[in-house]
Amino acid sequence: MLLRLWVPILASVCLVASGSPATAQEKSGIKPGFVLPQRSARILLIRPTIKVGAQSTGGMFEPNADWTAQAKENLAVALAAAQTKLGNEILIADEPIGPAATTMADYRALFSVLADSVIRYQFFVGNRLPTKKRKDAFEWTMGPGVADLAKGTGADYALFLFNEDQYGSTGRKILQAFAAMAYVSVKSGEHKGFAGLVDLHTGDLVWLNADLAMGGDVRTPDGAQKRVSQLLKNFPGSSQSAAPASAAK
Amino acid sequence: MRALWKVLAAMAIVVAAPLAAKGDPLPTLPPYAGAYQPQGMDERGLWMMVDEDERRLRDSKAVVSDPKLQSYLHDVVCRAVGAPRCDSVRIYVVRNAAFNASMAPNGMLVVQTGLLLRVRNEAELAAVLGHEFAHFELRHSLVGFKQKRSATDVMAWAGVAAAGAYTYGGTGAYNTVRTAQSVQNAAFGSIFAFSREQERQADLLSMAYLKASSYDPRCFADLWGRVMDEADATARGRRQRSTRYDRVAFFATHPATLERATYLRELAIAMDKSGEDGRARLDAAMVAWRPQLLADQIKLNDFEGTDYLLGELAGAQWTADLLFARGELYRSRGNPRDLVSAAGFYRAALEQEPSNADAYRGLGLAQMRSRDPAAADSLRRYLAMKPNAVDSAMISTLIQ
Repeated sequence: MLLRLWVPILASVCLVASGSPATAQEKSGIKPGFVLPQRSARILLIRPTIKVGAQSTGGMFEPNADWTAQAKENLAVALAAAQTKLGNEILIADEPIGPAATTMADYRALFSVLADSVIRYQFFVGNRLPTKKRKDAFEWTMGPGVADLAKGTGADYALFLFNEDQYGSTGRKILQAFAAMAYVSVKSGEHKGFAGLVDLHTGDLVWLNADLAMGGDVRTPDGAQKRVSQLLKNFPGSSQSAAPASAAK
Repeated sequence: MRALWKVLAAMAIVVAAPLAAKGDPLPTLPPYAGAYQPQGMDERGLWMMVDEDERRLRDSKAVVSDPKLQSYLHDVVCRAVGAPRCDSVRIYVVRNAAFNASMAPNGMLVVQTGLLLRVRNEAELAAVLGHEFAHFELRHSLVGFKQKRSATDVMAWAGVAAAGAYTYGGTGAYNTVRTAQSVQNAAFGSIFAFSREQERQADLLSMAYLKASSYDPRCFADLWGRVMDEADATARGRRQRSTRYDRVAFFATHPATLERATYLRELAIAMDKSGEDGRARLDAAMVAWRPQLLADQIKLNDFEGTDYLLGELAGAQWTADLLFARGELYRSRGNPRDLVSAAGFYRAALEQEPSNADAYRGLGLAQMRSRDPAAADSLRRYLAMKPNAVDSAMISTLIQ
């Protein structure tokens, strides 16, 4: 009945943050036996989903266009630097037009479902599907049709990124302090993201990393570097022991 | 404290609104300046989010890709709200059989196919699109966002107050907790009350657009009348209690449908204006799409509601496509008596449109399930008329 766009308010209703979500949650997975060709991988960066804003006193997300623009810029620079260090080449996809745009939209949607499934049914150990219970199993694919995305780019892999930051507002922090006095835990801020690498020849998901509490202020170049190192934790070919995953800033 | 005042003010508006609505003259059309850009942090943030959503929707397969239909809808918006205004919206027709349309703060207008099936004439469509445009012009998403933020802030503080009282006790603790809960309830309710008020404003502005347009303003209320009747039919079919249209539920985001129908009717009568209904134009624009929309509607598994809708679409004259759809509807329910009715509808459709191969298919399948030996003949005719049908192999196995 003639709705307007509905801004979600549900989060704000839960005042008490849940204690410890999924203590045994894994954060990343890599396809067994997968080795990224050394110093020659051409990686197509799919338009990343990046949202940055504040968290209101009541817990609502307040999107901020300036912060998001800064974060996009900073993360792109940090990502290119990180991959260059690994010897990989990052290709930025042109915005597709016509039927290619539909294909791209399809695969972006498919990837978000895929990543969600991996997080839910593989990384969350207690909730594993029977086929995902074997040790070191990491078998997920988007199908070989995904090769269409690479047409004309010469890329071998596609990198998908999702990043959402909600910085606790002053009001939220004050609320948190008062709530603490009443022995109620209120979470201020939220910093989550995931990144995945897909083999464009087979469509297989070769690596996925999801972190629901990351550090690094994406609004600054230095913070974005730290964030990228966390987003790319255990990236194939990197032997980095990533920056300690500190709790949300 | 400022936030609390906002909530109280919002509640006051809501309480006052029905009283004021009585003799409410229509709002004057806001001044229009082209290519509006979002102002301030909140609005720019919201636009950024929906701009991204719109990119996704634009390339989505859920959107019906038909330039002719799109340009027709654009023309309707232009005829409804006036020429320069209408250029600020992008229209996306989404294949969804439910009756709805929505407007994003950046001018992304989403029209569901269920709306296109249900409007009886162009004036009704224009009224709904005008309502959505009014949300855009009044920047309702932004105002609503701010109101929700204030209300949830109040709720959060009330929650902390209750938790504090609970933790530290004291003589007044019980009363403090009770009061805090009342404040939370009131703040939560204010979000929905505020939304209802925005919908009312959009209705009023839509009527103001209609007044300035060539359309008949009485049509908007007609639409709501049929929406209520269809919902009643659906409820009857599902053995559910029908919705009360004379009451506002706590969580209702829109005014009660009866209330809307009533005030829209009163406004239209007060306007004392007649106009065109543009039915011929709508019919011409939808003729290519109607079979698809009817097929989608039948898949909703809502026999009574769909039967009511088909009857309303037919009015005094059952056309071949509606007869065919009714045949499909009855055949899908599949009681022996339904199959007999379905066969009758298919035959009537074929009388009007002998080239309708799918009617032969439906007729044959209905006859087959009724153990009528004429079934094979009907199906053969279907195969002869449509040799490349996707189900031709399956149908052939039935007539061997």
